Amino acid sequence: MSDTPASRPTPRRNPEWSKTLFAVVFILVVIAAIVALFWQRQIGDAWSRMFGTERVQTGTTHIEQYDYGFHPRHITWRVGDKVTISLHNASATHWHEMMIGRGFDDTPYVVGPVHTQFDQDFWDGVHVTMSHAFKVDNFVPNKAIVTFVGQKPFTTEGGNFSPTLEPGGSLDLTFTVPNKPGTWQYGCFVQQFMHYVAGMHGTITILPAKT
Amino acid sequence: MSSIFADISQSEALRRGRRMLPPVVRGLFWAAIGFFIVNTLVSEVLDRTPLAPYVTKVSVTFGWTAATCGWLLGVGAWELVVKPYFGSPVEWDVPNDWRRYFMMSLDHKVVGIQYMVTSVAGFFIAGLAAMLMRFELMQGNLWTFPTPNAYLSTVGIHGTIMMFSFGTVMLVGGFGNYLIPLMIGSNSSAFPRVSAISQWLLPVGIVTVALSPILGTWTTGWRGYAPLAEQDPNGIVFYYLGVFAMTTSSLLVSINLTATILFQRAKGLTWNRIPMYAWGILAASLLNIIWLPEIQMTFILALLNNIVPLPMFSQIGTPLTYMEVFWLFGHPEVYIVVVPAFALWQEILPVMGQKTLFARSWGVLGLVFVMMFSGLVWAHHMFTNMRNDQMLPFSFFTEMISIPTGFAFLVSLGTVWKSRLRLTTPTLLVFMSMFNFLIGGVTGVMLADPVINLQTHDTFFVVGHFHYTIIGAMVFSFMAAAYYWLPRFSGRMYNEFWGKVGAIWVFIAFNAVFGQFLLIGLRGMNRWVPVYPKYLQNMNFEISLFAFLLGLGFLFNLVYYIWVWRYGKRVDANPWSAKTLEWQSTSAPGETNFDPPVQVLMGFYDYSDERPVCKPTSPAEVS
Amino acid sequence: MIDLVVFTVLWVSVSLLFEWIFHTLVHYGVYYYTATTQAVDGEHAVAFILYVLAPVIAFVVLMLVYDLIRFRARKSDGVLRSRHQFRTNKLFIGIWVLISIGLNLLFFVHPSASALEQMFNSEQARLNRQDLEVDVVARQWQWFFSYPQYGIDDAQDANGNSILYLPVNRNIKFVLRSYDPFHTYAPYSGVIHGFWIPAFGLKQDIIPGETRYMYVHTSKVTSYNVNPMVRVQCTEVCGPGHPFMVAPVNVVSGNDFQQWVNQQKKMEGQ
Repeated sequence: MSDTPASRPTPRRNPEWSKTLFAVVFILVVIAAIVALFWQRQIGDAWSRMFGTERVQTGTTHIEQYDYGFHPRHITWRVGDKVTISLHNASATHWHEMMIGRGFDDTPYVVGPVHTQFDQDFWDGVHVTMSHAFKVDNFVPNKAIVTFVGQKPFTTEGGNFSPTLEPGGSLDLTFTVPNKPGTWQYGCFVQQFMHYVAGMHGTITILPAKT
Repeated sequence: MSSIFADISQSEALRRGRRMLPPVVRGLFWAAIGFFIVNTLVSEVLDRTPLAPYVTKVSVTFGWTAATCGWLLGVGAWELVVKPYFGSPVEWDVPNDWRRYFMMSLDHKVVGIQYMVTSVAGFFIAGLAAMLMRFELMQGNLWTFPTPNAYLSTVGIHGTIMMFSFGTVMLVGGFGNYLIPLMIGSNSSAFPRVSAISQWLLPVGIVTVALSPILGTWTTGWRGYAPLAEQDPNGIVFYYLGVFAMTTSSLLVSINLTATILFQRAKGLTWNRIPMYAWGILAASLLNIIWLPEIQMTFILALLNNIVPLPMFSQIGTPLTYMEVFWLFGHPEVYIVVVPAFALWQEILPVMGQKTLFARSWGVLGLVFVMMFSGLVWAHHMFTNMRNDQMLPFSFFTEMISIPTGFAFLVSLGTVWKSRLRLTTPTLLVFMSMFNFLIGGVTGVMLADPVINLQTHDTFFVVGHFHYTIIGAMVFSFMAAAYYWLPRFSGRMYNEFWGKVGAIWVFIAFNAVFGQFLLIGLRGMNRWVPVYPKYLQNMNFEISLFAFLLGLGFLFNLVYYIWVWRYGKRVDANPWSAKTLEWQSTSAPGETNFDPPVQVLMGFYDYSDERPVCKPTSPAEVS
Repeated sequence: MIDLVVFTVLWVSVSLLFEWIFHTLVHYGVYYYTATTQAVDGEHAVAFILYVLAPVIAFVVLMLVYDLIRFRARKSDGVLRSRHQFRTNKLFIGIWVLISIGLNLLFFVHPSASALEQMFNSEQARLNRQDLEVDVVARQWQWFFSYPQYGIDDAQDANGNSILYLPVNRNIKFVLRSYDPFHTYAPYSGVIHGFWIPAFGLKQDIIPGETRYMYVHTSKVTSYNVNPMVRVQCTEVCGPGHPFMVAPVNVVSGNDFQQWVNQQKKMEGQ
């Protein structure tokens, strides 16, 4: 057998590799993998909480919707700033909406109550401009005061302010952040309220106006 | 005991030169480099989309492939395979200590142990997933998992890793690699490099599937049904890729073992003397060779369907296309799992009873016919999906396959009748395995009946049934084999008391869990639900408690096994007075099995004949 | 010889014991709760298999236990090998093979083929002219039930959740489809669902792009509140909302059903 190590000329390397290096790297990789697997979301959330407030978003905030989540999951705005939500549905198969609010409306169900929407609608009484509407399934203005620029999407009633986008759809919402400081949630409740259950939600921190 | 490798621990000359990087570390490092380069190339240059994240479905597929290549090269394929291919001399020294298990090795016994350890690691990772599932199911609402999709990913990880890294692998890649060359009197497997590479693909597969939720929680379970899989987030890509790595591993090892059994047999080891376990491995390997390429093509199509994306299972195909091709593999898969287990019964019982194997030819016939029938039954997984007139043929063959399966019972029961049965832990575990498979078989006959199937399909009844066949038969037989060959592996003997405690513990907990699965399934508990109606909660709670007991039982056996391996009582070379060849050699990993080669003089299962089964060949006889 | 006699006697007794256990099980109801004739047929099939297999199960289980006890090697014996070394026993093997072939053929004829035949018969149109037709649409993650013969588009309870009402002692024809009635622009977004009512004893998968049927004959007045097995449950994993695809079922008398129909129509008319 010509390929056994016995036949090679002179060795160039010492094959007795370091046990310590092996053990350290191996354990670190295992720990990193476990942490990433179980605490990916928590670490992301903690990161945003620690550094998010310092990164107040002005101008355009791009929000991607996918199955089943939002990217980003945290937004920070300041009261009085003029901001734009540029919403895009990145899913190839599902339609998604975006509600913003606090608290929940529940409905009884066979396997326990289910959240159907937010109890308090962030958009109540807010002046908002909708533009660049593309592939919008339907739009519920509720109590917001909406100005449409360009094509006006199919508008209907029932429930909170929520634009619902078809797969690949997008739109822009431009408004001045109202004086409603604190923590708000955004979420998607379509398909029998299941997108929210599946984790499709995020938080908005609204900071008081600069004095 | 001379080593086929340079005995470097005694050679001072080898200690010169710089220390090499630990191969696993180098493998991880090269994998990281491969992933970074290729992923960046795809997601940031070739397939750039504004606002898309750094890791996309497409980029991760290519990045993963590069990482896998980097890993394989890093753990040793660079020196052992690539460089020699281009004519360089092999420069790969394997130290004679535990380091050899953490680098690529050409010794079939080292590869066997690497396989066993990886496979058992997969078993416990998937077992942990099962524990998490049972924890969630203690209550009818979502209380431990953040989302139902996280639960469903856990279900998928449990099933995928159990199936492809343990069920398919342990008895073939693990015991097969270690024991088959020994049992047929050979000094190595036919293609040692193939097994070396296939072993190092297995951890890639396990890690890929286990970490898939990082890319997004997929919801399909281990079967990946389209069109749901088309909608799933990127995690599903890691499911396809991980399964691809693990099935490639099994395919390569099957090719190697088939060739080994066909061409490496010792002189005098004729076809009618082939050991039962080798028959089992041959049958399972042929099943692997027939069906694994089929599922791999399916998964490649499904992967392309997902990342391109193509409309193969919706617009231009139907969802049934995927189901058919999945189960076309999926049912033979369970025979890949249990055929070696049947062979183990027939291997262990004659030794423990010190009695000639009963009706050996029927045993072999059973293994071979199960293998041949396995491709005729797949659509019984689809009675709820198919046309009515397609049901009966599949129902027929499904019922008929229980006939060759029954031959394993025929042979085993005939062998122990009037034997002098030593009531050891392996005997006990084989008997438990036979009992469990009996329950699995009876429920299987029921499920083969379309009218009953339409009620029990996709309920916990089915879950109970296949855990009875797979844990019940395969895992119990695996434990029997592990205790049976422990003296061969380690030169040490376990204590019968503690071995039996482990066996009985697992047996009771197992039956308490999966016996109740059958009942709760009939009572209306369906699969893949972290949330279920209240009336099922008490029974689920209680099942969970037994499930934890079962998990602890497996853990107990593992801890005890490792303890014996290291500190057990030393024992003679052939403590069971077995006749098969692996007991006629005491070679440890790194040592030559038979020096000089042996010649087989008679069959291994005839206990009426006191003559030796083999003799060393004289140098003149070696051609 | 003595072993054979003792074993046979024990085998007969254990078989009888198993028959008695299975009889008790069947008496209690192996399907726990049945509300259609189809479920009763399924129960009969299970019972038949159990009764026929009882001696087989008894044989194997007893053999295992008997071997463990009777043929156990005792240290005091002082010899290693068994005195009985035989390779084959043509009579035993012959009986074993013939019985296993015979049993499997029997099971194929009955209950497999015969019960299936009965089920197919109940699906034939000539026998089902009085069928109540229920259109079932499954989408992620909700059931819709409509009754075209009564003009009900979407049967709902007071909370707006889907609900299934059926009259007792009627043939019901479920027409099963998987698509999203609200988003027809995405015809390929449907996935496979499974339509199962545990108490009804059978299920069908609902495959996007296909129309499939399921027939039952309701046999007792019952509801989800009487037994939670009387519910529609999705059994094929269909995404995160899969466990939530549940709808209560009410099987009511003919009069109550008519009353419910009128009430639904009034609600939908609003």
